[in-house]
Amino acid sequence: MDIILGVRLQDCTLVATSKAATRGISVLKANDDKTRILNTHNLLAYTGEAGDTVQFAEYIQANIQLYLMRENDTELSPKATALFVRNQLATSLRSRKPYQVNVLIGGYDTKTDVPALSWIDYLGTHVELPYAAHGYAAFYCSSLFDRHYRKDMDLEAGLDLLRMCVKELEMRMPIDFKGVYVKVVGKDGVRAIEL
Amino acid sequence: MTTIASEYGNENNSVPIEHRFNPYSDNGGTVLGIAGEDFAILAGDTRIVSGYNIDSRYEPKVFDVGDNIVMTANGFAADGAALIDRFKSAFKWYKFDNNNKKLTIQSAARYIQHLLYGKRFFPFYVSTLIAGLDEEGKGAVYSYDPVGSYEREQCRAGGAAASLIMPFLDNQVNFKNQFEPGSDGRVKKPLRYLSLEEVLALVRDAFTSATERHIQVGDGLEVLIVTKDGIKKVYYPLKRD
Amino acid sequence: MSDPSSINGGCAVAMVGKDCIAIACDLRLGNQSLSLANNFEKVFPFGDKTFLGLTGLASDVLTLKEDFRLKHNLYKLREEREIEPETLANLVSSSLYERRFGPYFVGPIVAGLHSKTNKPFICGFDLIGCIDFAKDFIVSGTASDQLYGMCESLYEPDLEPEDLFETISQALLNAVDRDALSGWGAVVYIVTKDKVVKRVLRTRQD
Repeated sequence: MDIILGVRLQDCTLVATSKAATRGISVLKANDDKTRILNTHNLLAYTGEAGDTVQFAEYIQANIQLYLMRENDTELSPKATALFVRNQLATSLRSRKPYQVNVLIGGYDTKTDVPALSWIDYLGTHVELPYAAHGYAAFYCSSLFDRHYRKDMDLEAGLDLLRMCVKELEMRMPIDFKGVYVKVVGKDGVRAIEL
Repeated sequence: MTTIASEYGNENNSVPIEHRFNPYSDNGGTVLGIAGEDFAILAGDTRIVSGYNIDSRYEPKVFDVGDNIVMTANGFAADGAALIDRFKSAFKWYKFDNNNKKLTIQSAARYIQHLLYGKRFFPFYVSTLIAGLDEEGKGAVYSYDPVGSYEREQCRAGGAAASLIMPFLDNQVNFKNQFEPGSDGRVKKPLRYLSLEEVLALVRDAFTSATERHIQVGDGLEVLIVTKDGIKKVYYPLKRD
Repeated sequence: MSDPSSINGGCAVAMVGKDCIAIACDLRLGNQSLSLANNFEKVFPFGDKTFLGLTGLASDVLTLKEDFRLKHNLYKLREEREIEPETLANLVSSSLYERRFGPYFVGPIVAGLHSKTNKPFICGFDLIGCIDFAKDFIVSGTASDQLYGMCESLYEPDLEPEDLFETISQALLNAVDRDALSGWGAVVYIVTKDKVVKRVLRTRQD
């Protein structure tokens, strides 16, 4: 029941992930960061099967970093990054033990100055969306996003929207998810922000 | 005569063999009801199947149950027959107890809900339709789920090919997705009552189409037409393959 | 509902007219009951007058779309000409049968006009590549029952392009309205010998 949310704003993409790391009925950790920075302008947020998530995220992170070194510091665009991740998941799906990991990729394309958000599940289903969520959080947040999202929203408006979502989730989710970490992916790269 | 000891005698039979009786089967077929301004029709194909076998090419399943009401219960044929029998019997007692009072279609409709819900935990495995005229003389069709949830509608398809026929009915009877030419899809085509000729043409088209694509539908089409003058039965042959 | 071919939902349909063909699809992409996107097209062009529709598991739709794009490009480089619809159909068939015992969960359809003769061609496939050559129409996806009912009753042979557009649109629209996993917009391609018209349809949003 981990929460990951993403919103694409006018000049950046927001990614929010719950801080709680839960196993069964226990909350093991209240400061778990479910994101990995792939390169300067791409952030991967993940949920799913306990062992798989970090393994997969760091495998992706390492490969994107490797690309950066090999290709003389040319960054993979958000679109290319998302397609790479999708391909890994789609290939893994037909392996002996597929990665059960669902991800959101928040990115910022420095060539076109356009922010991007990709929704990818463990099956390798990929869609680019203005706002997205995985798991149960999607059921609670989709309607709020549908109602209040505007494509020309600035950072403050985006954070307000996230605050509404988190408030709703705190009210409806059966366990305390210990709040969320919020990351902004913009022109100057990835930075953390307090909600 | 002596019994010769066999090796079977030592077999361990302490684990009971489990048997499970499946009380339901699917006899295919499909039914369709449409209400007009001063008439209503109930149509059904006349094929009965079990598995890939055609058990009958002519077994009517739409019935005149009295007081200008027609009824069908399609799905598991035994349950369908049982339901209609129960209704007919209750209808007889209603007339007997109430000095031959006419049973209105909405009372019949509500009663059938109770017949179906009465077997909530061992349901009649059927989609039920009734058709007739309401108290204003307007055509009425009522449709049910297996446990008695019901609704009055202009039209409804039930049974094996319901998923094939229902969108066609939405389009041709309720004019869904049809708009006034030149209105840029903003003005809906106005609803109107269809004539009996139009309705029969739609019914025949629906069934020939369903026959073409559904293996459990075919052989014959029997339509019961309800008007204030009574019930008329018409039969059209369908493909027998 | 862990059937791979009905997790994401969606459907496609193709029809033959008089010297023309039409191919259409809905735009929904969902995750079981939750709708995610209303811009997920399932029909892809391969050359000027040939189209491939892919319904089923969205992951496999994306994978195969890219796989066939690659194979189509290699074909063009080797042959220095566009691929014919019949050839694409055989390519799809053999590609799917390669995965006979671990299939892609898709329901492809191919529609197009021959590059020289402009002879209409449509066909459909099962998930392991068995080709269904049809003279009239081909349906695919979670609303296939509904599409069969609509097409079988609305279709007539030798329709002009405008009438074929109306027929395929009504067939698709009314079919997806009776399927919870399809809808959320629709796209129709009408292909004639010298023109391809793509139309996006306004549909119910529930």
